[in-house]
Amino acid sequence: MADNHRAPSLDSSYDIAIIGAGPAGMSAAITATTSGARVVVLDDKPRSGGQVYRNVDTSPLVKPAVLGEDYLKGSHITASFKCCSAEHISGVNVWHVGDNGEVLFSLEGDAQRLTARQIIVATGAMERPFPIPGWHLPGVMSAGSAQVMLKSDGLVCDGAVFAGTGPLLYLIVAQYLRLGVKVKALVDTTPKKNYLRSMSEITGALNAPAMLIKGLGLMNEIRKSGTEVYRFADNLQVMGGDAAAGVSFCVSGTSHEIVSDHVFLHQGVIPNLNMTRALGLQHHWCEQQLCWKPVTNNWGQSSQGFISVAGDSSGIVGADSAAAMGRVCALGQLVNLGLMSEQQAVTEAAEDQRFMARQQRFRRFIDCLYRPIDQHRKPVDDNTVVCRCEERTVKDLKQGFAQGGREPNQLKSQTRCGMGPCQGRMCGHTVSELLADWRNELVADVGYYRLRTPMRLVTLQELSRFTDVMPAVSPSAIHSTESSSSEKGSSLQEKAQ
Amino acid sequence: MMAIRKSDVLVIGGGIQGSSTAYHLAQRGISVVVLEKDTVSRHASGVNAGGIRLLGRNIAEVELSKTAMKMWHQLDDELDADTGFRARSLINVAADEADLHTLRSREQQMHGLGYFHEVMLDQQELRERLPHVADHCVGGVVSEQDGYAIPFHSTQAFRVAAERKGAFFCEGEQVQQIRKVGGSWLVSTATQQYQAEHLVNCAGAWADLISVMIGDNVPMSYSAPMLMITARMPHFATPVVGAVSRPLSFKQFENGTVLIGGGAKGFADRANNTTRLDYSLLASGAHNAIEFFPIMKTACINRMWSGLEAYMPDNLPVIGKSARSENAYHAFAFSAHGFQLGPVIGQVMADLISEGSSCFDLDPFKINRYERKVL
Repeated sequence: MADNHRAPSLDSSYDIAIIGAGPAGMSAAITATTSGARVVVLDDKPRSGGQVYRNVDTSPLVKPAVLGEDYLKGSHITASFKCCSAEHISGVNVWHVGDNGEVLFSLEGDAQRLTARQIIVATGAMERPFPIPGWHLPGVMSAGSAQVMLKSDGLVCDGAVFAGTGPLLYLIVAQYLRLGVKVKALVDTTPKKNYLRSMSEITGALNAPAMLIKGLGLMNEIRKSGTEVYRFADNLQVMGGDAAAGVSFCVSGTSHEIVSDHVFLHQGVIPNLNMTRALGLQHHWCEQQLCWKPVTNNWGQSSQGFISVAGDSSGIVGADSAAAMGRVCALGQLVNLGLMSEQQAVTEAAEDQRFMARQQRFRRFIDCLYRPIDQHRKPVDDNTVVCRCEERTVKDLKQGFAQGGREPNQLKSQTRCGMGPCQGRMCGHTVSELLADWRNELVADVGYYRLRTPMRLVTLQELSRFTDVMPAVSPSAIHSTESSSSEKGSSLQEKAQ
Repeated sequence: MMAIRKSDVLVIGGGIQGSSTAYHLAQRGISVVVLEKDTVSRHASGVNAGGIRLLGRNIAEVELSKTAMKMWHQLDDELDADTGFRARSLINVAADEADLHTLRSREQQMHGLGYFHEVMLDQQELRERLPHVADHCVGGVVSEQDGYAIPFHSTQAFRVAAERKGAFFCEGEQVQQIRKVGGSWLVSTATQQYQAEHLVNCAGAWADLISVMIGDNVPMSYSAPMLMITARMPHFATPVVGAVSRPLSFKQFENGTVLIGGGAKGFADRANNTTRLDYSLLASGAHNAIEFFPIMKTACINRMWSGLEAYMPDNLPVIGKSARSENAYHAFAFSAHGFQLGPVIGQVMADLISEGSSCFDLDPFKINRYERKVL
């Protein structure tokens, strides 16, 4: 059952359109509607909650508690969201957001259009690509997709290997173990040097002791379960010819192999960039999080004044900060709309902004500790696939580079890397970083793909049904048109006189 | 103080026309520098539909187009590169009796001029060549020697071949000023000065600005023809397909992706080097594609884009000598069908520069053809 509650409306223009119904989008909608803004929220999933609170109200699990407290608390926010007056259009594919405030989307096979004065992009994060030998083989999935299967359908996979680094990896392993699912091994690629380096950020972490304790708790839980854990692994590779057969890796120079048909990889998350990029917003390379981020100010406002970016799509902040950021973005836009005084917005945003600043210090610690190693981000082996859609390897890219593809778009035209249906999501960051190395320049100077609409694939039939209809005229609009024409009439009469 | 770079010829614009011109000049041992304000094939030459089309050419262009077509069939060997060229028949589909009537009068005209490369197809022949064409389509016209190429690769191929023969390409060099001093053209960019005896304007959507600096007024406009490409789908069409009277054109590549064009224009923002798409026009393009080929209903559109292209009021290019200045030449405003002409235009330009004339009739392409006659 989709929780699509879209009031029958006569007009398809809004004060604020929010793309994404995760913590950031939902909070923004709650705050904005409280102050009387006319808000629409568009989301691709049938139910609100985003990735993090996916299906929190309708979990297929008998005891959703195994997913943890941080998951369950999402039901508070989804409940308030459902009570607010925002129109929620769920299960839609938003494939175009224009810098003129136009939003085009596919709903039930038709392309539809709405316009908004202000837009909040809250499209969340995606998992960082893991371009190692064999990562493209059948049987290899991301740890995030293991969690999606668990949250959506209660599906699990017995005897899998989990490899990589980052909190989400340990969380899904712990969730599996709580359900009694056997985990073949956890191969942790967090290097020793990260532990040392992250010590300089430990004060930030100590500011958020609860989070720190939670993190340590997960690791203890995994260790106590007796699951095989390999730490400080590098040179990770997926073994197998036509399908995954296991993983191989080194621990302080010693090689290991673990056999399994299922490999789940994860090395952190990065912002989902396709919308902010296609909008032509300014972006910068964040060395701390090793990803591109849209440039935003304290209010989440992007380089395009009426567009704000909230939550993980603006840079990885986590669910709690995302919710705070959604509220702050909404307050900023309420000021832009003339629905709130600047003074009031500043007062109301203060606590959330303080919270986000504290969380940022904790985030610095996390980013430092779980920084993925170069080897697993910038493939060296000629045969490693970089672009999965077009099956382009490091070797193909090197060739394209030698032929003049020195910049991501030229390289794309030269080699087709990034031209496939994932629209560059799975290779964009790798290409930026590889080119920076090959050119011996900063990633910031190399740039990223020039992305355009459609931000998601759209069928020819859906597009063909798009008609650029003007919003249906509401009775009040008819009235005002009539009165203005009668005014015109009277002024003509005056002239005639 | 600014360094000065000297050459026999200076070409402004690193698209296919500029790159081909550089190639033909370099091949004759003439020193040539190409100035490109962005990167080679950044605009129309890199992102067009790649149609290599002789079918349906304006009569004024047929001779040029025929010569270019012969060159395309040997271009990979000539340039020792992969231009992505594939020889494919090109079919324009007739949707109704009125379309057939249009085709019949065109046939009569072409035969009268001694051109026999366009051959009409009846309904059955059409269906044999395009089994997935919609039932209502009544016939069409085919040109057997046509095809497509990968525009970015073709333009790069000319560039690399030209460089091999000594041409010099300067990217990121935007022309700020052009002066004629004595017998030399002096061109300056923000960082460098260039000097040459001959100047060639191949600046595409920016060519009117260069023309004015050279001393020629021209009623050129620019726009943003749009394209979309689908994710891979099962093979269903070998020929390149167009329609007689509808804005539809598509080709299915060997990898299964389908490129859909048709000439619908988006919005050009030349000052910012960018374009905006017109989704309602793209929607009617999608509608046409499905109407002619119902199999495309479920095709997934992966990318949509448009490039900046120059147009003349009569949709014919400007090719030839400057009307007002000695030793200046133009090749621009190909009005969205210049890619196929690329190889021959380079030859024409090289002829004009090294021989002083071309064997083609360039009268219909004169830059001053719109100048008001004295009353």
